[in-house]
Amino acid sequence: MRLSVASAISHGRVYRRFGLSPRSRLDLLRNLVTALVRHERIETPWARADEMRGYAERLIDYAKRGDKDERAMRMADFWLTEKDLIHKLFKVLAPRFQPHPGSYTRLLQIPNRDGLDRAKMAVIELKGNPLPPLVRPRRHSDKTLLNQLLKGYRQDAQRARGT
Amino acid sequence: LLVLVPSPLPRLRALLQRCWGRLERGLWPGVFGGQSPPWGPALAVQGPALVPQGISDTGTPSLLESVVWMAAPKQRRTIEVNRCRRRNPSKLIEIKRNIDVCPECGNLKQKHVLCGYCYAKVKEETRLIRMEIYKKEGGPFNAPAVETVVLYEGEKPTEKDEGKRIIERAKKRPSWFVQN
Repeated sequence: MRLSVASAISHGRVYRRFGLSPRSRLDLLRNLVTALVRHERIETPWARADEMRGYAERLIDYAKRGDKDERAMRMADFWLTEKDLIHKLFKVLAPRFQPHPGSYTRLLQIPNRDGLDRAKMAVIELKGNPLPPLVRPRRHSDKTLLNQLLKGYRQDAQRARGT
Repeated sequence: LLVLVPSPLPRLRALLQRCWGRLERGLWPGVFGGQSPPWGPALAVQGPALVPQGISDTGTPSLLESVVWMAAPKQRRTIEVNRCRRRNPSKLIEIKRNIDVCPECGNLKQKHVLCGYCYAKVKEETRLIRMEIYKKEGGPFNAPAVETVVLYEGEKPTEKDEGKRIIERAKKRPSWFVQN
């Protein structure tokens, strides 16, 4: 009795399936990229954010080529449905990310959605945005017990080496 | 199966009788290979008339022919067996060991997920900032081609914020929003 499991195996395909068709998937991701470029921080289901991240970063790589590049302009024209954002992309985002070699976005997971589906949500943001930061970098304090003990140990070792 | 009439020649008749005897006793292996059913006179007739069982005059098929045999439990499963199956570790809910305390607010959070309380604070603040941005822009599709900077009450733009668009918030700067 052959039960076909072929439908559940991807055989190495990495792109997820969204929406009603491949064209619909691209439209969905295009809307998300446009929203990201407009608002610089968006909250969506994790799978969509993960899928969109690659497209957004490649779009910024194209934008870094410059305004005059025909290919870059065509890409921006396709991916950004709101045409005032093409100006923002080339004049604001490209100079902002010029020193960076890659990874212009940050993807962080959020507690599951409040609705019935309890979907796994994520917030994706462009680095260097003017909005309040999501995660504060923690400085390790010197006053904790472990750090004080290690400091004492280091001082003892130094004194032993010195004498 | 035709019954051979013994021919009038007595020698042939005797031979035939001997062969028949051997066949009857099963001592002639050439025919069926040892195990042969007992031969006897039989009618050379068509199929169905050979087995004249009771022709179904009843119309409704009897229970034993029409039932579909299906699996059913033979014995009641005892409560001990049931407990073993229900409480097997694979069926229990897994305990989460990745829950921590958020260092900022003290609420519980999962290690790989942002703290819900802190994120709600940041979300509210971004909502208010975006309302200010919308008021400044006036309408839809007016995204400026310059960077943005958010300044709170009593703050002046520094020389780093030269060509940027300034968004004013009529509030004291929250402690967790560090000015760069």
